[in-house]
Amino acid sequence: MVAYDLAEGKETGLISWARAKSPWILHFNTGSCNGCDIELVASLSPRFDLERFGILQKGSPRHADVLVATGPVTRQAKNRLLRIYEQMPSPKSVIAIGSCATSGAPFNGSYNVYEGVDNVIPVDVYISGCPPKPEAIIHGLLTLIQNWGKKQRQQ
Amino acid sequence: MVPQEIVTLLQVFLFPGFLFLFCLAFFSDWMDRKLVAKFQNRYGPLYTGPKGILQPVADFFKLLAKEDIIPIAADKTVFSVVPMLVLALSMTPLFLIPMIDYSALIWFEGDLIVIMFITTLVIVAMFMGAWASTNRFSTIGGMRVGLQMLGYEIPMTIAMIGPAISSKSLSVSGIVQSQAVGIWYVITQPLGFAVALICLLAHLQRVPFDVPEAESEIVAGWLVEFSGKKLALLKLSKNFELVLAGSLLVSLFLGGPLGFWLPHPSVYFFLKLIVCIFILSNLRALFARFRIDQVLEGAWKYLTPLALLQIILVVI
Repeated sequence: MVAYDLAEGKETGLISWARAKSPWILHFNTGSCNGCDIELVASLSPRFDLERFGILQKGSPRHADVLVATGPVTRQAKNRLLRIYEQMPSPKSVIAIGSCATSGAPFNGSYNVYEGVDNVIPVDVYISGCPPKPEAIIHGLLTLIQNWGKKQRQQ
Repeated sequence: MVPQEIVTLLQVFLFPGFLFLFCLAFFSDWMDRKLVAKFQNRYGPLYTGPKGILQPVADFFKLLAKEDIIPIAADKTVFSVVPMLVLALSMTPLFLIPMIDYSALIWFEGDLIVIMFITTLVIVAMFMGAWASTNRFSTIGGMRVGLQMLGYEIPMTIAMIGPAISSKSLSVSGIVQSQAVGIWYVITQPLGFAVALICLLAHLQRVPFDVPEAESEIVAGWLVEFSGKKLALLKLSKNFELVLAGSLLVSLFLGGPLGFWLPHPSVYFFLKLIVCIFILSNLRALFARFRIDQVLEGAWKYLTPLALLQIILVVI
């Protein structure tokens, strides 16, 4: 399973441009303490305004391109995370926000978490911090978008 | 001398036709997003083209290139036909509206009724799409689409009949021509204008009346299962609906492409359309969402009597 199959080599320049200019995110809380969620919401708010880059938050997984997961994946959230990932249409990426989503952080070795999103689904970008600043989240999203472009230029 | 057939073809495909309408739809979407962002003290789309003006184009092409998922449980034929149907139905009435001249590309006596009929058909198609996708959220959204139509349809029709009675013509072009010699109907029928504006907001499913796609309660409402190409077509048709609502208001109440000193009538039409889209976006940024029962109650208790009062005033 690959995180995104942009590398099929079928896309023209127009489509990769369009993809890089309008990544729509879907936010899913996989057992976070709401710290990272608040920071993500703050980066969508007027002060940081992610819509400058064409990024919109969508409610339905069918409309989204980027799954933004926050929190160590609890046993309860694992199946839902998998299901939401499977529901998204194909060129899709995953971002793990916060230390918990990256490695499980304080919950490492705990009996009821999976210690990071990448133990359940493939992750493209990790943003560390507890919680990461909105600047860090914006940087992570833009890094993801730039890497889409690089992957295609290599093809 | 260019033959008449070629001129007509160019008109259908280029200037007031398809290409122009696509540009207008994308432009209105961009303006809407940018205005709402300004109201919320944000920038809005900024880096896609100059001032982000290509943002709707980027969204459209991205969605076209995405995977197209059809749920196993969905009614596959209806589910695939509905986006095209909605797009075609929302684009057709725009050809009946006079944009660059006092008469539209196609016009006949009674095209106002055709426009009203097609706006109802769009709602029926939306309901079918919601029902065919067999998702619990989209089913609720579809029911709400139908219920909301029961509320706003009648006052909208009555409010639009007002200019038709005043000008003694049932075609949009005739109404525009009668405003060329008389006064704009927004001055003689302000109540009708207000009712039509509110009902068109409900028809567009925009924020005070976005019950059918209420994002915080039923995810994305009737749109929830549509992805990829289908979502792109549906979003485009929503933009066409916005343009249609604006241009209906412009031609029925604001005098259509009429003006005094600018060189071409389409410039006037465009300016008035921008004003109408500004009003619609303005309301979107200012209000919270009504509940579905509040929408129906308001439509039947207040909008319908007001529209009837306007008709009575017009007839007297």
